[in-house]
Amino acid sequence: MPYTTQIQDKARELLAGDQVSCVIGYEVGSRGRTRPAFIYDPDDVERLVWNQNCTHNLTTYLQDKLRPDRGQSEEEPRRVAVVVKPCDSRAINVMLAENHFAREQVHVIGVACDGILEGAGFGKATEGVLQARCERCSERTPVVYDTLIGEAPEVETSDEAAFADLADLEAMTPSERAEFWLSQFDRCIRCYACRQVCPMCSCPTCLFERDDSLWVGMRIELNEKRTFHLGRAYHLAGRCVGCDECERVCPMDIPISLLNRKLAKEIEVQFAYRAGEEPVPSPIITILSGEEG
Amino acid sequence: MYEPKIIGFLCRWCSYTGADLAGTSRLKSPWNLRAVRVPCSGRVSPELIMRAFDEGADGVLVLGCHIGECHYDNGNHRTAKRMPVLHALMEFAGLEPERLRLDWVSASEGQRFAQIATEFTETVQALGPCKWQQNGLPIHTAEVMEVPDAGVGG
Amino acid sequence: MKVVSRDGLAAWLDSLAQQKTLVAPRDVDGVLLYRPVASSAEIVWDYTRPVLSIKEAFFPATERLLVIEKNQQRVELQETLPEGEQVIVGVRPCDARGVKALDTLFIETEPVDTYYARRRANTTLVGLACKEMGETCFCTSVGGAPDDPRDVDVMLAEVEGGYAVQAVTEKGEALLAGLALQDVPGEPPKPVLNEPVPLPETEAWPPHFDDQFWEDMAERCLSCRICAYVCPTCRCFDVRDEALPAHNGHNRYERIRCWDSCTGEVYRRIAGGHNPRADKGQRLRNRFFCKFYYYPQQVGSAACTGCGRCIDSCPVNIDITEVMHHLAEVSR
Repeated sequence: MPYTTQIQDKARELLAGDQVSCVIGYEVGSRGRTRPAFIYDPDDVERLVWNQNCTHNLTTYLQDKLRPDRGQSEEEPRRVAVVVKPCDSRAINVMLAENHFAREQVHVIGVACDGILEGAGFGKATEGVLQARCERCSERTPVVYDTLIGEAPEVETSDEAAFADLADLEAMTPSERAEFWLSQFDRCIRCYACRQVCPMCSCPTCLFERDDSLWVGMRIELNEKRTFHLGRAYHLAGRCVGCDECERVCPMDIPISLLNRKLAKEIEVQFAYRAGEEPVPSPIITILSGEEG
Repeated sequence: MYEPKIIGFLCRWCSYTGADLAGTSRLKSPWNLRAVRVPCSGRVSPELIMRAFDEGADGVLVLGCHIGECHYDNGNHRTAKRMPVLHALMEFAGLEPERLRLDWVSASEGQRFAQIATEFTETVQALGPCKWQQNGLPIHTAEVMEVPDAGVGG
Repeated sequence: MKVVSRDGLAAWLDSLAQQKTLVAPRDVDGVLLYRPVASSAEIVWDYTRPVLSIKEAFFPATERLLVIEKNQQRVELQETLPEGEQVIVGVRPCDARGVKALDTLFIETEPVDTYYARRRANTTLVGLACKEMGETCFCTSVGGAPDDPRDVDVMLAEVEGGYAVQAVTEKGEALLAGLALQDVPGEPPKPVLNEPVPLPETEAWPPHFDDQFWEDMAERCLSCRICAYVCPTCRCFDVRDEALPAHNGHNRYERIRCWDSCTGEVYRRIAGGHNPRADKGQRLRNRFFCKFYYYPQQVGSAACTGCGRCIDSCPVNIDITEVMHHLAEVSR
């Protein structure tokens, strides 16, 4: 049975049975573009689709939908269902480790993914050309799910492939690298799309957007932009799952994922830890409740 | 030769006291280091370090208590875990790795402080001025208008 | 029509680049942007439109307004007014139209913004007509056209062997002095148009202020600022005083202004912490109402030039034409 039908059936079952109040999935929007969809009525599930343009990491919507302290007070905790790819599913583990919501609040519809097309989400998909993150991907089955759609083939991808494009930058001299990054950040307009699309970036007030300009001013100017990007990458160390949506949404084509993957590699090398495989926090985050690791 | 501007984040309990001891012991230590006292080296977050470089520091030295001797038990554990990650990131972004250093100095190690400060200053001096800081907004013209004395506090 | 050959145009632009700042569409690491060019060789001629509009040239992303230096009892203010003439080449009519919305705010409303006014006075716009409308373009639906010369000083249109040149304003005529033009019979070809998009009347919007439609559409909105920043007409900004390194022992601050957007969550937050537009739906609704109701109420035309950039750049397919279609339908 095609994935689309399976997802629709599951959504209908969950909504009709009152198990969830909302199913977060994908639909086809204007100009044939795939986009996030929020289905509340079992009669609307026909809107849901699965295709190779399902690039969005829908877990980014979970916190707003589930967190009671965002101005919503209710007796019973909310429950939603969300359609996730393997990369997205790891984000759920990170959010569970950080206590953003309880596991019972999410019905995870995991899809064994064949890869997403380059240009997806903007209506510019080229048939047969996968996104770089998918070329690098070593797992095609979600790590956490309540319902699993499909069975992915085993994929042979080495760790080297995961970090191969970092090697070019690492081989440069410091000043060459500095020049590279400055020319990238020069184009940045501080639209914050990278931050907004990221499931893990959820601080009520971003450190880099404070009214009192504590560490970074508001200028859209090189020093500030660089500190924003490096600071954000650092705050995601051990938390970023590599969905690379930040890079996709950037209107200026800045290769943001290079920073995140560099730190993912460092964390893996130094702490033998990969974000989101288990619901345990990043090794550089401190847990105040118990013994220091 | 240019004189580097070194920002030193020194923890109040150990390394700052160690630096103070170096002073009272009349040990020679470079004036280039401008000390910023923090309660614990664990307080030194990436934003502080990046801001120092953004404001024109040529080198940043972070000194804490030896592992096992932190006044707050494990504050320096956090520094020890996090600094290498920040270091890798800034190196990846084009900062020469020798410009950022983490080390441990206890309150009684005035000698050690002087030695580390001297070593670090020499290293940073040999690297030349740091090019991390970018120019601010260009000033187009300067038409100076003097505002009449409004009696504001000095 | 008056025509200049490609080589003739290139040579003229090269000489312009020597005298003034020449801004034109340029490939910046794979991204097409209006940027200063050193010679005509850097200019890209075959494009729909650059990712950002030309509003940067008049209303930079960040601008220093004042430097304030405090020397005990004396406070010195230094204005930092922009200098230097610039010529922007390859301006699409939708982008030139967008500048008009900025004019309304910055120079047609008191007090006049000196910084913007200076740049505006020192800039000449050389437009480039579109041969066809882009996939997401809808300028004709909001009162514009792909070859509309109204808002530029000189209009270029590609023809056989070169470009048709039309001086639109006195400023444009002055710029063209010294450029040899040939008289060629005929007119530039008419651009290929898209299907029009319905533009709901101004008064059609208020009755739908409380519709569920806004909240539903905004569920997927990320509250980033892409749509406002790429837009030729969006002109909101934030002003802050930020410290500078001390100068001669005196405290120094600069007053700067930067782009801001009503789609950002913090935009409407006020002292005390209250935020009248805390929900994404409220913010998104505001963006469309500002363009199609508040601005036309005051000025007459919609604050949208139909350039289609927001449609291209929105990561979650929030489509302004979808909004216009919907409003047109529910107000029938």
